[in-house]
Amino acid sequence: MPLDKIKTAVIWILLSFLFFSPSVNSSPEEGLPRRIVSLGSTLTEELYLLGAGDNLIADTLYCQRPPQAKLKEKVGTIIAADLEKIVSLKPDLVLATSLTNPAVKEKLKNLGIRVVDFPLARNFQELCGHFVELGKVVGKEDAAKKIINSSREKIEALKKKIQGLPKPKVFMQMGANPLFAVTKDYFLNDFIEFAGGINIAAQAKSGLYSREEVIRQNPDIIIITAMGLLAEKEREQWFTFSGLNAVKNSRIYVMDTYKLCGPTPVSFVEALEELIEIFHPRS
Amino acid sequence: MKSNKKITRWCIYLFVLGIILLGISLLSLCVGSAAIPVRKIISLLSKASDSAEYSILFNIRLPRIILGFAVGGALSISGVILQGMFRNPLVEPYTLGISGGAALGVVLSIIAGLSRRLGGISLPVSGFLGAILVIILVFYLSIRKRVLRIQGLLLYGVMISFVSSSLIMLLMAISGADELRGIVFWIMGSLEQPNWLLIKTAVWVSISGLIIAYFFSLQLNALSLGEEDARALGINVENTKKVLFLLTSVLTGMSVSICGIIGFVGLIVPHFIRLLVGNDQRILLGASFLCGSSFLILSDTLARTIIAPTELPVGVITGIIGGSVFIFALTKFK
Amino acid sequence: MNTLLEIKGLTCGYDARFFIQEINFSLEEKEFVGIIGPNGSGKTTFLRAITRFLKSQKGTVIFKGRDVRQIGFKEFARKIAVVSQNQPVNDITVEEFVLLGRIPHFEKMQFLETAHDFEIARKVMSLTQTSKFKDRLMRELSGGERQLAFIARALAQEPQLLLLDEPTTHLDIGHQVAVLDLLKKLNRECGLTVIIVLHDLNLASEYCQRLVLMREGRIYKAGHPDEVLSYQIIEEVYKTVVVVEKNPISLRPYVLLVPEEERRARSKKYGKEE
Repeated sequence: MPLDKIKTAVIWILLSFLFFSPSVNSSPEEGLPRRIVSLGSTLTEELYLLGAGDNLIADTLYCQRPPQAKLKEKVGTIIAADLEKIVSLKPDLVLATSLTNPAVKEKLKNLGIRVVDFPLARNFQELCGHFVELGKVVGKEDAAKKIINSSREKIEALKKKIQGLPKPKVFMQMGANPLFAVTKDYFLNDFIEFAGGINIAAQAKSGLYSREEVIRQNPDIIIITAMGLLAEKEREQWFTFSGLNAVKNSRIYVMDTYKLCGPTPVSFVEALEELIEIFHPRS
Repeated sequence: MKSNKKITRWCIYLFVLGIILLGISLLSLCVGSAAIPVRKIISLLSKASDSAEYSILFNIRLPRIILGFAVGGALSISGVILQGMFRNPLVEPYTLGISGGAALGVVLSIIAGLSRRLGGISLPVSGFLGAILVIILVFYLSIRKRVLRIQGLLLYGVMISFVSSSLIMLLMAISGADELRGIVFWIMGSLEQPNWLLIKTAVWVSISGLIIAYFFSLQLNALSLGEEDARALGINVENTKKVLFLLTSVLTGMSVSICGIIGFVGLIVPHFIRLLVGNDQRILLGASFLCGSSFLILSDTLARTIIAPTELPVGVITGIIGGSVFIFALTKFK
Repeated sequence: MNTLLEIKGLTCGYDARFFIQEINFSLEEKEFVGIIGPNGSGKTTFLRAITRFLKSQKGTVIFKGRDVRQIGFKEFARKIAVVSQNQPVNDITVEEFVLLGRIPHFEKMQFLETAHDFEIARKVMSLTQTSKFKDRLMRELSGGERQLAFIARALAQEPQLLLLDEPTTHLDIGHQVAVLDLLKKLNRECGLTVIIVLHDLNLASEYCQRLVLMREGRIYKAGHPDEVLSYQIIEEVYKTVVVVEKNPISLRPYVLLVPEEERRARSKKYGKEE
């Protein structure tokens, strides 16, 4: 007897789908966005670079640069965005990153708000591509292209400067316990290459790297980034391996996460200059 | 007569719990980081509008309330049924390994890049498939000579949970950073579900589950005496065990696939309600459903308003509130 | 008097081991039968085979002309009730506990107890002297009181045949007598047929019209207590020395155990005779 009821219930479920009404999907307005919400600190910075900072109405708690960005309305963190806040601000464009909660992105789209996704760039080339894309979206394509070209020129100049200089062996890490190295799949690798260094972990399949392997490879320089408060501890840890070249010459550096891990085409160049200083110190 | 007294008491419980559910739902509708004054809400309720406020009420808050109703209820009655079947107060919906299987399914689909190709619905679907596989596995491992062994369900369920967690940690370790974040979102548990089809599914499965459970409420009452005695009372124990196991598995699988892992609801709500209304399944099921729904909706409301504009994972709130209220109730009643 | 139960060639057990073998047994209505035997002789298995909790490998159990395997669960529960070994029960009042016995009588779509159900519960509780506990929790009762509640629940099923598995084992003498007196009264006045597994040979002798003595899975001897409780048979089956006297009050056989000291004293007194 209960089995009959189960069958009835299943039929119920199937019938209910007949009443399924798809949610309202009004098409977004065309035209240049005037009310932009940014869900990524890099995107916020880039907006200001493009001169579209005035159209930014809200950003995340972590959008600290440039200083004007701190004063904007806040809509949450990079990972957890407050949907209600965003909708109540009536934006016409939301800039999302790969860190944004996919459910939030989809919800915004369902509500008819235009969302443009900017996945993590894997190298400088992609970084430029995304920048131009952003420029197109906010109507500042020309400005974008100009900035890119200027950065490219500067980089070429820097590359010429260090041409012929010996290339130090570099190990760059993004995490400890487990040890996470920068391989060629991460755009940080471009920093190392452009600055004239050899990334010992470039060919590794995944970022998970063994400390023994690092010791075996004996890099000249170790760079620690993206580790926040633990970076100093990690640096001390490395100093216990007195055999390493990097230790002997005291060339273990902790670098600013903002600059290195969330670069705009402009800050990329600045960071590159810093790295070149580190790799090829003037004697 | 006696019968009437009991029925009256039950009706009162259900009525009061229903009112509480309604109250909490309305509260949840009125509260949020975009502060909308109550008068505005009342006017919006009567006529549709294009405004952002209308969107917020009906497209952001309401779906969460509805989903909270469905999933809170589903997890609670799963807890009630399992605690009744196993006669063990520590059993809850995730004990049978279903959440592990669903999580594994989601992780595998994220790593295979399916979510990029098939869109948002790929996660709940793969989660549910993972859950089904675990259900089938645990079921067949626990059947000996056509008899479903309860201890087997528990043992295999717990083992599969451990194995799934280890596999997930392994996959997380070797996968790329991008994919990792997708997994974390899902595991944290959230009532944020953009797809209305899934929300509707949740409601129908949940309510159907409650109705089916009621058809087995007498059997569950008898099972509390032990399998042998239940059989002596004329219950088809094997059938009952199988149907109830499948029912709770589907309810839990659905909840986990659509909302991720929201713990404590299935464990605490049955206990709490039992302290209030007793052990009779006929009232326990309905009361737990209503209480679980209220609890989850309330927890979700807190999760999205306490540290606005950031949102806490709802599982954190259910754990803290649920745990504290429960400890308080236990000490008071004993 | 009609045949209530007919068992032919019943053999039952788990896997390769058989707990009871080739049991032939028939039961008339209104009988009061006691099953006795040493530990492990298959008494409990016998009961479980009747209620089909154990699948039988061979043989048949016929209840009122119908093979027990053809009778549906619910219908079976309306005819035969079991009082099993006293198990722990969780938080449930005595009245709710007894009402569970009405489940076999619920109609297809019935969900709540009817006035009739409450009436039956009230009746069986007064029969078993448990009315005064009806709102107490089961776990608050003493062993004897709980046993009476279990019997009340079984009676609420309104069975024709009542099976009991050692209901008096943990009870004091007062409660033992109370339980058995109740069963005897139900048997005499209400026509309830009883099969009771007993540990205590004297209780069995006192209350049962017929005894079935089991040994190693088979029926060793069945019949009136006078026939079954002879000292030779008991010594053979239980492997201990006993003396069987006549109970001066009821004239039923009364089994006296003989401690070792007495045995040695007597063999000295009477030489090597035993």
